[in-house]
Amino acid sequence: MKMQPRSRNVFFTDMWALALLAPMILVPILTTNQYYYSLANQALIGLVAALSVYIMLRMDLLSFAVPAFMAIGGYAAAIAAKGGNTNLLLLMALSFAAPALVALPLGALVLRLKGVYFVLVTFVFNEILQLALFETPKLSGGSNGISGVPSVTLLGMDLGTNQGVVYVTLLVAFVATLITLAVTHRYRPEFASIEENETLAESLGLATWRYRTFGFVVAAGVAGLAGFALVNMLMTAHPSSFSSFSGINYIAYAIVGGRGTMLGPVVGTGLLVWSSNLFSSKGEYSAGLFGLLIIVVVTAAPSGLVGTIHQFFKAIRRRLSVSADLPTNSDAATSQPIKGGGP
Amino acid sequence: MMRWPKEQVPSDAAVTLRVEGLSKRFGGLQVFDDIALELEPGGILGVIGPNGAGKTTLINVICGMLSPSAGRILVGSQEITGKPLHVVSGMGVVRSFQQTNTFRSACVGENLARAARFSVGDAEADLGLDTLLEEFGLRQHLEDPSGDLPYGLQKMLGLLMALATQPRFLLLDEPAAGLEVRERVHIDRFVQHARSVLGCGVLIVEHDMELIRRLCPRILVLEAGRVLASGAPAEVLARREVIDAYMGESEEEKC
Amino acid sequence: MESFVSTGVIGLSLGTQYALLSLGFTLIFGILGVINFSHGGFYVLGGYVAYSFSHLAGVPFAIAVLLAALACAVLGYFVELLLVERHVNDHLTTMMITLGLYLIMTTGTLVVFGPEPAEFPFPVSGSFRAGGFFVPYSNLIVLGVCMLVIAVVYLLMYKTRFGIALRAMADDREVAIAQGLRPAQMFPMAFALATGLAGLTGALVTPILALEPHVGESVLAKSFMVVILGGLGSIGGATIAAFIVGIVEAYSSVYLGGSKGALTLFILVLAILVVRPNGLMGSEARKA
Repeated sequence: MKMQPRSRNVFFTDMWALALLAPMILVPILTTNQYYYSLANQALIGLVAALSVYIMLRMDLLSFAVPAFMAIGGYAAAIAAKGGNTNLLLLMALSFAAPALVALPLGALVLRLKGVYFVLVTFVFNEILQLALFETPKLSGGSNGISGVPSVTLLGMDLGTNQGVVYVTLLVAFVATLITLAVTHRYRPEFASIEENETLAESLGLATWRYRTFGFVVAAGVAGLAGFALVNMLMTAHPSSFSSFSGINYIAYAIVGGRGTMLGPVVGTGLLVWSSNLFSSKGEYSAGLFGLLIIVVVTAAPSGLVGTIHQFFKAIRRRLSVSADLPTNSDAATSQPIKGGGP
Repeated sequence: MMRWPKEQVPSDAAVTLRVEGLSKRFGGLQVFDDIALELEPGGILGVIGPNGAGKTTLINVICGMLSPSAGRILVGSQEITGKPLHVVSGMGVVRSFQQTNTFRSACVGENLARAARFSVGDAEADLGLDTLLEEFGLRQHLEDPSGDLPYGLQKMLGLLMALATQPRFLLLDEPAAGLEVRERVHIDRFVQHARSVLGCGVLIVEHDMELIRRLCPRILVLEAGRVLASGAPAEVLARREVIDAYMGESEEEKC
Repeated sequence: MESFVSTGVIGLSLGTQYALLSLGFTLIFGILGVINFSHGGFYVLGGYVAYSFSHLAGVPFAIAVLLAALACAVLGYFVELLLVERHVNDHLTTMMITLGLYLIMTTGTLVVFGPEPAEFPFPVSGSFRAGGFFVPYSNLIVLGVCMLVIAVVYLLMYKTRFGIALRAMADDREVAIAQGLRPAQMFPMAFALATGLAGLTGALVTPILALEPHVGESVLAKSFMVVILGGLGSIGGATIAAFIVGIVEAYSSVYLGGSKGALTLFILVLAILVVRPNGLMGSEARKA
């Protein structure tokens, strides 16, 4: 199917997201500064979680359940690693599959609900999972979590060094980005139609529930990957890493950056992780400043930073093309045939 | 593209849309009761009636947006009663909407592409849409967002999108509503095209009596949820009880 | 047996608290279509305002509670007027705005009052005892006050012109506007009513439970649960669901222990949603 102009634009912008991401690979190469490593890890993990939010937003659904799916993926990987399976690829596959499998029946239940109910239920699901973690100490270590998670290995290499962890996080982010790109582009007409006018889509024959479920499952898997990267970085799986508040953060990354393209979450995550590190000295103020930022962006720039900049350029382009189209006197004279008198 | 098993669509060409004993009630409110109709491939059936007679709800029930309280709907020998909207659409019974209904932020071309993509028809079939796009004045707007188009063009786009799904039966909900008089001939052209090129059966719910007279050899008159009369327009519209039903309505409007 | 009954009374008391809390939340959703993420924040704010008046300024508890409710109502009024009103039709935006507001409120209380729980005891101590039956007076008083307030809210919503107008607005906004009702006037007042209720509940209840900046979050989750169960926008549904949640919570925390009670509750809610996606009494047509 030939790409329509608008999806070409989105694709182009999404490619920018990849382009911005690629240089991150230089971080572990060019420096050994732990501060930068920590920042990079935070940003990359936050990005993957934000991408999970983004996938759902493409269908006009807001999901607070990202930390819950992160927890499922992270804990699954932790348990497997402690059981002796430290192969990186295996753990990545597991951390994607576990939440995806949970999302399948859960999605069947909650995706039928109206958008607003869906939001509330995902919020409640997150709380449920926190409680479940505390109530199943044999599996999850309860309030202590699972500590001493062994480092990840690949082809005999131990990737538990500071650099190794960054490389793992980079790989996770890269894979998650590719998955997001693939899904949001392959099914862009479907997702966009669900986002904009579901009834119309169904009247034309689209089984919207299938695509909603698909999106939900993929988003859960992507979140699981983020959970794995987080657990790997901390070497611990603990309930406090997956609180509702962190869910709010990831939503903010996606919305502040802009929910229309993948570049949005990239920009949003980068900006907000950097600024929260800036404000970390004023730790107690950070939540409030975050809240203020959310309000400002959502009221003044609803399409987020990326979306607003897009609109700005579009408006400029339109103004330029209009002035170029205005006919001058000489044009009018030469283009109009002279009536009465001719061959 | 995701390959999901398609609903079993009857391959028999001479497949009729049949409605039997269809009723719909919302709690205590009976919207319509014991409606029966039949639409053959390539046929046209007009459904008219004063406001509140249940015409739009009838379409909502047949296409699957609402489930009936009683009765059956069949496509050939396949029963589609109570099946959801997208399944009914996949079985070839496609509706249009009374209000303009398009993907407003997408351009005209994208709207039509999505209609083709979401439906189960033959991707290579030439539906003659280009000719219609030209005639309806939509061709020059292929790259324009459909939400920016004037009402009439959006309405026609909606109809073309329904056509793009290669339906067996079209349920048109007041297609002429909101159209200027000079635009209404497009409806004639559209219906003629659907019948001749696709062999579509067309059910038209309408208020425009001239259009009904022009296009429909058979009509059904609905009043207060029941079939008041059926037959050829010239004959039916001359009947006392039909005129009374409409007079009653216009009396109310005068108040 | 006595503990069964006294747990039941505590469950009822919890039920009335949740009912008061969720009424406001469901009102805002029903009338404005807004999911108010700052709901828990107003609860906490109400607690702190009452605390400030009663413990730092020596104002009698009852007056402090009323002042807290008033303060939250006024704040809610202006929040709606200045922030929410313009975006009232965009669900995502209003959610984000109230979310941002919640973060600001939490930070504000954290900065002003510190993270430690505040020393805010209920003015009446001791318990009612009869045989083995044992219920703290505070619970009984709160039960009584909450029931009174709920009754007042019902009266307001069903017997006054203002309340009837609000419900008309919730039922069918277009028709209500056609009848001459003005959303721009009514929405801020509806919001204020809801936040005032949240503040009132906070002022009343935090002396019993706990007052520190982060209790808002679990309050929000509880409110969500109640309104999901009862059906968003349904006042009756929210009330019934609140009592169900309160009673289940009381009994399961006494007889099951730990947070198993809360877990059971959540799973119960999910199960009910399977059967009735609109909640117990929700009336909105669900997504096709």
